[in-house]
Amino acid sequence: MRETYGVVLPGMDLSNLPGKLIVIEGTDGVGRTTQINLLKPWLEQQGHAVLVTGMTRSTLAGKGIKRAKEGNTLGWITLSLFYATDFADRLENEIVPALRAGFVVLTDRYTYSLMARALVRGIDPAWVRNLYSFALRPDAVFYLRIGIEALTPRVIFSHGFDYWESGMDLFASEDMYESFCKYQAALMAQFDGLAREYGFQVADASQPVDDIFQQLREEIRRVLKEKSASPISTASPRKIADASEGAARLEESAASPALGEGKAGA
Amino acid sequence: MKRYGEQRFPGKLYVVEGIDGSGKSTQLMLLQQWLRAEGYGVVFSEWNSSPLVRNTTRRGKRKQLLTPATFSLIHATDFADRVERNIIPLLKAGAVVLCDRYIFTAFARDGARGMAPLWLRELYSFAVKPTIAFYFRVPLDVAMERILASRGAIKFYEAGMDLGLSDDPEESFRLFQGRILEEYEKMIPEFDLHVIDATLPIEVQQAEMRQAVKAKLGQTKRLLAAP
Repeated sequence: MRETYGVVLPGMDLSNLPGKLIVIEGTDGVGRTTQINLLKPWLEQQGHAVLVTGMTRSTLAGKGIKRAKEGNTLGWITLSLFYATDFADRLENEIVPALRAGFVVLTDRYTYSLMARALVRGIDPAWVRNLYSFALRPDAVFYLRIGIEALTPRVIFSHGFDYWESGMDLFASEDMYESFCKYQAALMAQFDGLAREYGFQVADASQPVDDIFQQLREEIRRVLKEKSASPISTASPRKIADASEGAARLEESAASPALGEGKAGA
Repeated sequence: MKRYGEQRFPGKLYVVEGIDGSGKSTQLMLLQQWLRAEGYGVVFSEWNSSPLVRNTTRRGKRKQLLTPATFSLIHATDFADRVERNIIPLLKAGAVVLCDRYIFTAFARDGARGMAPLWLRELYSFAVKPTIAFYFRVPLDVAMERILASRGAIKFYEAGMDLGLSDDPEESFRLFQGRILEEYEKMIPEFDLHVIDATLPIEVQQAEMRQAVKAKLGQTKRLLAAP
């Protein structure tokens, strides 16, 4: 039986969801999409049906969010709620049906990115946790982590600095580069906190693409081997903050650039 | 982020709540006329009116894309936009803000749709606590009579048709509004709602409302240039 981080949405049946939910997390420009584009064909070659999904892609709210962000006028409570609407729509209409049909769902970011962005902007942590507490606990969360020094050239060579990725709403008096560095550092601090809390498996994203891909493959193989019938986690509801196991794994993985042993989250 | 009950503003916030057909909008309109005439700076804020979110809500409703979860969240988004960009700045400026429906509408409707009550209360904890929240209590039959007499088709989500309570819109509406009434009744002690008997003559209700509002106006500024 699957679990959420707290509340269960009306009409959502958590039994009989044999697919796997695999999350790729990380800050902007860290290489999430590159890895997903490698993982999808690799999984398909092995006979797994794959659904790739990501933030602000819902039928319901995707367009509305993009339009609202262009104007830079939404407050952060509002934006968080708009993101949560988009996420709920995708959870109910894409992710859960795919898991029920036995798909491997690869998601480019999950609620953690949304939480990190809200927390960085001073939104009450208890409020943020409650908001996203209807999210399913994934089978694994891979956090691609990178330092600012390694991240900056990637951003320069891809699309340059963008208003939101530079946190210009937070550090508006700075130039975009200064703002980018401050914002991404603050965001990473939030991500590191979430990594401990939710038991992410950390990958050093400054490594060559192929090395990261290989590590992810190994871990995903392990996740896929777990019998879908076996309980993914304890049946009794756990507190969101109870992730002492996860924290231990993070330390282990932080010590070496390779991924930690065992599965995350769940 | 200040939570419910923690904010302090010079302005005043009066809200009306109740099921459709309770007459709350009429009462709020009358209150507004009076406050204007008394020289207060009065601003009206309606449920479901944020320009940025409205298009998404409208699309979701028209195409019936909304589940209880997304119905709840999209309304919370709309409300947050109004609180952050409209209600709070107005209250800071010392205005009298009048809201036709407030967070209690969300608690009642979303609660009736099966969303967890505690989750909803935390979700809306950024809301400003009203100076007074009036609840217009009316028996279901009276409300139904007023609604059916005054307009044509009942809308899909208003009737709670998404819940599959009944295939007949009128019957579904009755069942859904009945659930909402139960939710409101539970909220009276929880949020100290000021109950007004909405079966009384309009003038009597309005007099009670004005008396209660007046008692809480205190030092609220009057604008000389009021229409």
